[in-house]
Amino acid sequence: MSEDFNDKTTIQAQSSETISGGGTGASSDIDYVRPAEVADQDLYHGHSFLTKWVFCQDAKVIGVQYFLLATFTGIIGLILSWLMRLQLGYPELAGFMTAEHYYQFVTMHGMIMVVYFLTALFLGGFGNYLIPLMCGARDMVFPYVNMVSFWMFFIAVAVLLASFFVPGGPTGAGWTLYPPQSIIEGTPGSGMGIILMCLSLVLFVAGFTMGGLNYLITVLQARTRGMTLMRMPLTVWGIFTATVLAMLAFPALLVGGLMMSLDKILGTSFFMPTILQAGEVLDYSGGSPILFQHLFWFFGHPEVYIVALPAFGIISDLISVHARKNIFGYRMMVWAIVGIGALSFFVWAHHMYVSGMNPWFGFFFATTTLIIAVPTAMKVYNWILTLWRGNIRLNVVMLWCLGFIITFVNGGITGIFLGNVTVDVPLSDTYFVIAHFHMVMGIAPLMVIMGAVYHWFPLVSGRFLSEKLGKWHFWFTFLGAYSIYFPMHYLGFIGVPRRYFEMYDSPYVTSAVGMNEFISIAAFIVGAAQFILIYNIIVSLRMGKPAGKNPWKANSLEWHTSTVPPEHGNFGEKLPVVHRWPYDYSVPGAKEDFIPQTTPPSEVAETEIEKT
Amino acid sequence: MADPKIEGYEFKPGYKGMAADAGSDQTLFKGVHWGKAMMWIFLLSDTFIFSCFLISYMKGRGSTPVEWPNPSEVFALHVGGVPVPLLLIAIMTFVLITSSGTMALAVKYGYERNRKMCGWLILATALGGLTFVGMQAFEWSKLIHEGVRPWENPFGAKQFGSFFFMITGFHGTHVSIGVIFLCIYAYKTFAGHYDEGKRGWFTTMKGDYVEIEILGLYWHFVDLVWVFIFAFFYLW
Amino acid sequence: MEDTKKKEQPTTHKIGIYLWIWGLLFVLSFFSYMVDWFQFQGLLRWSLILIFMFLKAGLIMAFFMHLFWERYALVNVLLWPMTAIACFVGLMVAEFQYTVFTRLFYFFIGG
Repeated sequence: MSEDFNDKTTIQAQSSETISGGGTGASSDIDYVRPAEVADQDLYHGHSFLTKWVFCQDAKVIGVQYFLLATFTGIIGLILSWLMRLQLGYPELAGFMTAEHYYQFVTMHGMIMVVYFLTALFLGGFGNYLIPLMCGARDMVFPYVNMVSFWMFFIAVAVLLASFFVPGGPTGAGWTLYPPQSIIEGTPGSGMGIILMCLSLVLFVAGFTMGGLNYLITVLQARTRGMTLMRMPLTVWGIFTATVLAMLAFPALLVGGLMMSLDKILGTSFFMPTILQAGEVLDYSGGSPILFQHLFWFFGHPEVYIVALPAFGIISDLISVHARKNIFGYRMMVWAIVGIGALSFFVWAHHMYVSGMNPWFGFFFATTTLIIAVPTAMKVYNWILTLWRGNIRLNVVMLWCLGFIITFVNGGITGIFLGNVTVDVPLSDTYFVIAHFHMVMGIAPLMVIMGAVYHWFPLVSGRFLSEKLGKWHFWFTFLGAYSIYFPMHYLGFIGVPRRYFEMYDSPYVTSAVGMNEFISIAAFIVGAAQFILIYNIIVSLRMGKPAGKNPWKANSLEWHTSTVPPEHGNFGEKLPVVHRWPYDYSVPGAKEDFIPQTTPPSEVAETEIEKT
Repeated sequence: MADPKIEGYEFKPGYKGMAADAGSDQTLFKGVHWGKAMMWIFLLSDTFIFSCFLISYMKGRGSTPVEWPNPSEVFALHVGGVPVPLLLIAIMTFVLITSSGTMALAVKYGYERNRKMCGWLILATALGGLTFVGMQAFEWSKLIHEGVRPWENPFGAKQFGSFFFMITGFHGTHVSIGVIFLCIYAYKTFAGHYDEGKRGWFTTMKGDYVEIEILGLYWHFVDLVWVFIFAFFYLW
Repeated sequence: MEDTKKKEQPTTHKIGIYLWIWGLLFVLSFFSYMVDWFQFQGLLRWSLILIFMFLKAGLIMAFFMHLFWERYALVNVLLWPMTAIACFVGLMVAEFQYTVFTRLFYFFIGG
């Protein structure tokens, strides 16, 4: 090692990754980057109000549209959760709510939050805005199809919300929609409700296929010069892998939903066994309810990783920017994301341990489930190692990052409990499961969304969000979310079942009454606290502190556009040329504590460092 | 087939080439048009849809303790009083494979900028597709006439009719959509849109003969699904 | 769609290749049909059906869909996800065997 230093007192700042692909032979020019393979993109510029703001083909506008619609549906989901907590904590105040209403709220809350809020927000919102920018492209590769995809999502949401107003109301079968109950009387919404739900999901899948094709092909085929796959920010890797999962997992949901609709509408017996409804034998026979469960969870498990992986990617970028340090083990982080994505197709029946499936399956799925925990845990170690001895800026964004790590570890550990068959059997369908998935899929990704909003708001609007309001927002949300979900682990252990309208009068459950009240109060407060962010956004759009260009001193390409906010076409006359990965923060020997991706090696400003 | 020429990039063969492609900048699939890459990924997704259908069929058929109808008998055509098993299906397979062949030739002539041959071959493919759908409709009407319904049938397990109509219906819909696009693309070929690079009506992007290859991929996929349906549903 | 930098014609193949593959597909279809005509049963029937099916599918993908000439990156990206399908198929075979076993046992034999 010492021979590297010899007598010199200056240390050369080198880019950590040099171009190696393509095999063009040793290039003497240190700044050389291959010429462009394809000509610059032909963009459609709208001129009327409709083509500029409504049916806009600019991915950034589409991203904001997705963000707004997803947030709107998320607020509806939040209100539904308030209604549920009202019933659970203070049933005497919820006299207007019948058991049927409660199950409908449970179902719609779940479906909205998982699919219409989180998936749409991460893939449609963040994906559309950030992927072209971070890859150095002017727009998505198929802007027209991208525009259509948003309006498909819009129609899907409209159909879903319409189910609230049909006779019988929305489906109350649980977000998992299990037949045979979901389509026979006794389950709320078993008439039009379930049909509209299936229709909405079909429309959603169609729309997200269109969007997904855009995200995938843009990342694979439309990166700028010098942008190799291993120089992409982890945000892109996370959203990209999640999109691959979406393309491959949604088909199973489509098939399951379609077959269930046919069982309802045409009287087919795909999932319907011989069954009685209110004493009367129905016309079905020979079907297999467990087939639906397999199809649903073949989709359902990758779905939760579709929510988690973009969060993993985004958090890596937020931590590295705000701790002024390269992400620890970038390559392994990439392989972990890809590995988790691939493995997610082999673990689905850990949601079905108590379903009555083939008893030998438990062995297989418990094994694969514990294997998938390994790359996930590794990512957590790497985030912590990134923070270790970093130059941490404890601003609002960093607070959300720290909140994410804590809640994700909590939720991840309870996942290990549930992944083992024998431990799962008593905990299945109890509040322990609710605590687990809210921690790991609700709170943790929500922390990422909040952090990402505070982080990228200066890019989208040119202004900062208020730090003071942000900190209030954070502490209410973080402490409040823990107050809601931590006690639920205990409720689960003592056996309180999930999806129950009333807690009834049993010795073990009466002890939980106080806990339920506490959780409900916390839920009301945390929900209300989210409106701090909405207020913050509205006010900061007009009166926020101007941010200027690249206020966080970040490296990735989205901060190096021609204008802030970026215009249509993103980068002005010339596309950026990339010379390094996005994690050159606090590089020893460099003058600044960040080296943007577009800085050629010959232009890296060095600092004189005394050899000690 | 030579690798496309890309300035500044040296192609390596085999898996070393794949690693080099993956490590290079700008694109993973060297020389592959965006639309072609898009169609391949879409077909991958559609493959998963049909796979889920066929897996469900396998699971449904395997689970039923009731006897499954014998496909050789149910799908037989009576020619001159003699039942010929699976005759209609054999003809349908012949027609679809032929249309796949004409499509492959259409792509070839398209790239050679032979407008007339390309256009006529696209029309021939569309004709094949239309014939296939017509025969499928005939088969549906014959079975419906014999009492097969999605909810029951006189030949055996209830699920036979359900899976049959659902899977062939989904496949037939794919074929029909393909026929519509083939007719549109035949028009665009004869009218010279791909020679001039005329901008499309919906997307306003310039036309190019690669679109024929892209549609060709879709058409071959439709044929591929039929190969699987033929094997699993009719033969098994 | 973007323009390729040089408007270069992709190399096309001689018509003969397509006609040979076409013919081969007919031969394989004929053999599949013969499996039913001769009413083979059991393992022989299933294995023949599957072999001919995969051969036909392979020919269509390799030659009509051009994968034989594409670079490995595309081929691998398309084929590796089939392992998830294969896993699903395998597990569903086990599942239907278990389902039909429980039905026969509980409904007919009496458990």
